Amino acid sequence: MRTSLKSGLHCVISVVAGVLSLVPGNVAAQLAVQPQLNVQPQQVVLHGPDSRWQLLVSREDDGLSFDSTRAAEYRSKDSGVAAVSPDGVVRGVSDGETFVEISANGQTTSIPVVVLGAAAKRHVHFENAVLPVLSRFGCNTSGCHGKAEGQNGFKLSIFGFDPRADLTALTQEGRGRRTNRTIPEDSLLLRKASGGMPHGGGIRIRRNSPEFRVLLDWIKDGAAAGNADAATLVSIQVAPRNARMAMETGQQLQVTARFSDGQETDVTHLAKFQTNSEALATVDDFGLVTTGDSPGEAAIMASYLGQVDIFRAIVPQPQPDSSSSFPQQPVLNFIDDLVDDKLRKLNIHPAGLCSDSDFLRRAFLDIIGTLPTATEAREFLTASSQNKRAELVDSLLHRKEYADFQALKWSDVLRVDRLTLGHKQAYTYYRWIREVFAQNRPFDQFARDVITATGSLTSNPAANLFKVAKKPGEAASTISQVFMGVRIECAQCHHHPFDQWSQHDYYGMEAFFTQVNFKSTPSGQVLLPNKATTTKHPRTGDIVQAHALLQDEPGETPDGDRRRLFADWLTAADNKWFARNIVNRVWAQLMGRGIVSPVDDFRLTNPPTNPELLDALAAHFVESGFDLHQLIRTITASRTYQLTTTPSAMNELDEQNYSRALFKRLDAEVRFDMICQVTGSSEKFDGVPTGSRAIELWDSQVPHYFLSLFGRPVRATACECERATQPSVGQVLHVLNSPQIHEKLSSDAGKPAILEASITDDGKLIEEIYLMFYSRFPTTNEQVSVSRYLASADNRRKAVEDISWSLMNTVEFLFNH
Amino acid sequence: MTKKRSYCDGMSRRNMLQLGLGTSAASALRLSRTVAASESSDRPGVDPARDDVSLIILFLQGGLSTIDTLDMKPNAPAEFRGEFNPISTVVPGMQVCEHLPGLAQVADRFSLLRNFTHHDSGHGPADHYMLTGYAPRAGFNGSLKPNNHFPSHGSVISKKLGPRGSVPPYVCLPKMHRSGGAAYLGASHAPFEVEADPNAPDFAVPDLTPPLAIGASRFDARRELMATVDRFREKAEITANSGTRALTTFQKKAFDLISSPATRIAFDIHSEPEATREEFGRNSLGQSCLMARRLVEAGVRCVTIDHTNWDTHYNNFDVLKNDLLPHLDTGLPMLLRDLEQRGMLDTTMVCVMGEFGRTPRVNKYAGRDHWGPSNTILLAGGGIKGGRVVGATNARGERPDSDPVGPEDLSATIFHRLGINGNDEFHTPEGRPVKIVNDGRVLRELL
Repeated sequence: MRTSLKSGLHCVISVVAGVLSLVPGNVAAQLAVQPQLNVQPQQVVLHGPDSRWQLLVSREDDGLSFDSTRAAEYRSKDSGVAAVSPDGVVRGVSDGETFVEISANGQTTSIPVVVLGAAAKRHVHFENAVLPVLSRFGCNTSGCHGKAEGQNGFKLSIFGFDPRADLTALTQEGRGRRTNRTIPEDSLLLRKASGGMPHGGGIRIRRNSPEFRVLLDWIKDGAAAGNADAATLVSIQVAPRNARMAMETGQQLQVTARFSDGQETDVTHLAKFQTNSEALATVDDFGLVTTGDSPGEAAIMASYLGQVDIFRAIVPQPQPDSSSSFPQQPVLNFIDDLVDDKLRKLNIHPAGLCSDSDFLRRAFLDIIGTLPTATEAREFLTASSQNKRAELVDSLLHRKEYADFQALKWSDVLRVDRLTLGHKQAYTYYRWIREVFAQNRPFDQFARDVITATGSLTSNPAANLFKVAKKPGEAASTISQVFMGVRIECAQCHHHPFDQWSQHDYYGMEAFFTQVNFKSTPSGQVLLPNKATTTKHPRTGDIVQAHALLQDEPGETPDGDRRRLFADWLTAADNKWFARNIVNRVWAQLMGRGIVSPVDDFRLTNPPTNPELLDALAAHFVESGFDLHQLIRTITASRTYQLTTTPSAMNELDEQNYSRALFKRLDAEVRFDMICQVTGSSEKFDGVPTGSRAIELWDSQVPHYFLSLFGRPVRATACECERATQPSVGQVLHVLNSPQIHEKLSSDAGKPAILEASITDDGKLIEEIYLMFYSRFPTTNEQVSVSRYLASADNRRKAVEDISWSLMNTVEFLFNH
Repeated sequence: MTKKRSYCDGMSRRNMLQLGLGTSAASALRLSRTVAASESSDRPGVDPARDDVSLIILFLQGGLSTIDTLDMKPNAPAEFRGEFNPISTVVPGMQVCEHLPGLAQVADRFSLLRNFTHHDSGHGPADHYMLTGYAPRAGFNGSLKPNNHFPSHGSVISKKLGPRGSVPPYVCLPKMHRSGGAAYLGASHAPFEVEADPNAPDFAVPDLTPPLAIGASRFDARRELMATVDRFREKAEITANSGTRALTTFQKKAFDLISSPATRIAFDIHSEPEATREEFGRNSLGQSCLMARRLVEAGVRCVTIDHTNWDTHYNNFDVLKNDLLPHLDTGLPMLLRDLEQRGMLDTTMVCVMGEFGRTPRVNKYAGRDHWGPSNTILLAGGGIKGGRVVGATNARGERPDSDPVGPEDLSATIFHRLGINGNDEFHTPEGRPVKIVNDGRVLRELL
């Protein structure tokens, strides 16, 4: 594995595989465990001083797992050999054999415990034993000694990624007072951390706690690096790996570290835990998971010395009564099967099908970022074709607005930034991106063209990406975020705290892009790759050859432009990231939430909510030749896409499993165009012809109050998160009260004025307005109440403005649903 | 850490299902909880004994020349000491510039932090450093708005303390400084931007009130109509979608603001007696100070006044003497007196600062350039003792002689006085924990 951690065998506390041979016969006879009470592990062997193991106790009931670890009672048969705490931690006291008796839920069982070498002198290994303690107590985090400038003169590498530097800091810097080998108890490290001296970070490690003793023994033993041949940490494993849990219940986790020599150690007390969804499940510092009051699936990450593993908690919706069963609904394609599978697991029921008008408005806004006109709405709603939804999608894919809208989205993440590129370059770059979507070029070719772009910026505008992401590292992290959905930039400076990426991985990726080089010529800037460049690991100074994530590093530098090798790897049919990332982005655009969310944060510890669905969509996309049109057709043809927004008791708390259609916030540009369309007004933006719509803007910095207010991105990064998705009071006030909107509503040339003058029949007028704003006919009740408003008004034109204003400020208008 | 997950009445959701209450009751409770939660913000790490203290930041953008004003060096060589002379103040031993006679009269209300220093002498990063307490990270782009890598003081206050009454918790006058944003605290803690100069004859907050053409009765009729044309109004959809829940919350807030007499009155600077307006000075700085007082009085927790043009590279002395200092010398002393007269000075901290001081050596254009190493800060009210001078710069005003303090310490002091625990952490969207204060020291010598 990637981190090279050495194991100090003498201080490792372990359960040895094949332990039964060590267990005496009379113990084996008592191993029969009652069926309902599960205890893990079924036997414990503790090695060395201060050795420990976290037991897990649970029972199954009605398909759910209930953790009894903290509720159970524990008793050691011989407390002179092993002690056990009320929360189920067995500790070795002296060498020998005994049993721990466990009682929970009226049942009792016992497990054998063997303690070996409890009194042995331990040799504490710096990387394997000291760094975990410093990490666990937060000494080397970015808020404390881990920050770049250190803290009060004491600097540790962040998360302990540089053990050599940390050892020097502890043993040689600070005038050698941090570790005092003559009087170990006087070491600043111990006195500060345990409160014996004033410490800005407070008391971190209690005096005489096991972790304190690890540090003390290490100093007593000479505060050295430890055995250079010690075993290295290979992986960690969380137990349990997954569980179906009831709402608002707990589950203790246990973390095992595996070393290269086969040793296993309980590191639960040294691991760090983090949840991916506070609403679904929380986790405390000691690895106790507590589920919330919503159904769904949460991932809890455990991390230890750069290794991570996750526990997945499935929390089903409780069944209110036995009569409600999973609804029988048509399966329109593979998507519905896979979504239903997941919903069944969670006992969440899918909603019913949406109306034609919902589908029409949703498809328009999702696919072309444009509201249907009243005419388009009427035409679709009154059409009798059996296949009209699919026909609509097909027609939308070939409209000009499709390319406009997709180009807008991709210009964000590919950073068409006028301030950096200049007017002309930014515009040609944008036109190039737009053309990809206008022609529906296969997506793998698109990615390849961007990644391997060479030549003049004028004839090959794709090369502009390397003008905005100038440094090789920036290019590597931008390309991996955009085309793989993986954020690697953390690993530039230290091991990624929530993922498996090390600095070695980061510089392996960077090495693909170090040849990028621009030359000035009379005809402008030209990208000409350099021949020889090397990338060095900033800490070790070793040369890092270009290699993609999870790929082997080649022995020598390949010839030619290495970006081509990267593009070959990325766009291969079996690539793990590319197709999944693209289908996830498209899925998120259509469904309102990515299967991985945020869409550009694929991470071991941020798993997809439905991996089977993600895989199937990716396979479909690859099979179609990376055809975006086909992908959109397939998704929109599913029943899942065509669900109504109306929640039921069996899905109202679910926003991550596609049990009903979600309300999607509209992009600033789309929303502004909608307002212009329904008021019959147009806006003149800088840099584009009169009559251009906001989704056609190639420059995200065109001065515009509305677009800035509603969170248009500035394209300073490749992150989707630049588009603000949070509403604000200012936004609401602007649509309600602003003179600009008022002007649009009350203009003599605007829609309200024209409609009022041209349609004398109130009923028809109201129908037209409803089709225009909501893409649907008004209900009878709405006809009645709005007619009443029209009839009672002194001024019919002003009444129409009032109606338009009212419709414009509703949730129905302000969202895509 | 695990959060306690129960409703106000102590019932868990499961209890409620077991009690046989329908899901609609549960949904209603859920909505009310969501709204309540987003309105009250989170309060852990807040000391209720001090959470009534408000903050007014008067930011002199461009960089106040402190060597010419609050930290004069009359004995330095001519090319350092400049053209102005010091005068005595009501506090024995404390001197300020001769062009700040008004300020000299209220010197017992404020203290000067003369050992303040930082290492950044570029506008964008220094602004960010002063307004957030954090130097920006690598890759900082000062021209973005907002450009925040870390949340501004006002955003932290909004997040930790929440609104007080129906007025917004954090307001920027006349518009938001580029570093006044909320960063990872999210748009709901961005400032309410006034976007208008309180000194303008027709000053009004944009969009706060309906256009004049829409009278009150027509607006009410529209609102009533709006309720009948919203298909999703009060439907389960609103509660079941986080996006619509948030919008509904903000719509409610917006209507509260529109119909909030407190907000309308607070922003109605025209209702202030003409004499008072004159006393504050009929200029942007003076009227902003008056507006800040009105807003704090109405319940706003943090007002940041962004006053520009202090970047005196050329003709430093002319510009200060004729344009900038007269405005500062009317607005600021009046603000302190006015707060005191209203009994608000003890609960309103006023912090006057530029992003940096200016070069002690006068340049060839009779100007002074950017200088982070010495930058005197003026603090008053909210528990800050008056009449103190803390620290000193060296003979030429180049840097503190000893015991330097910096933006982190200023943030620590501000948050401490507002009852906010600076050691609390926020989490960025990437999960990175960031402390509210970057290890600053509370400046007890001012308290």
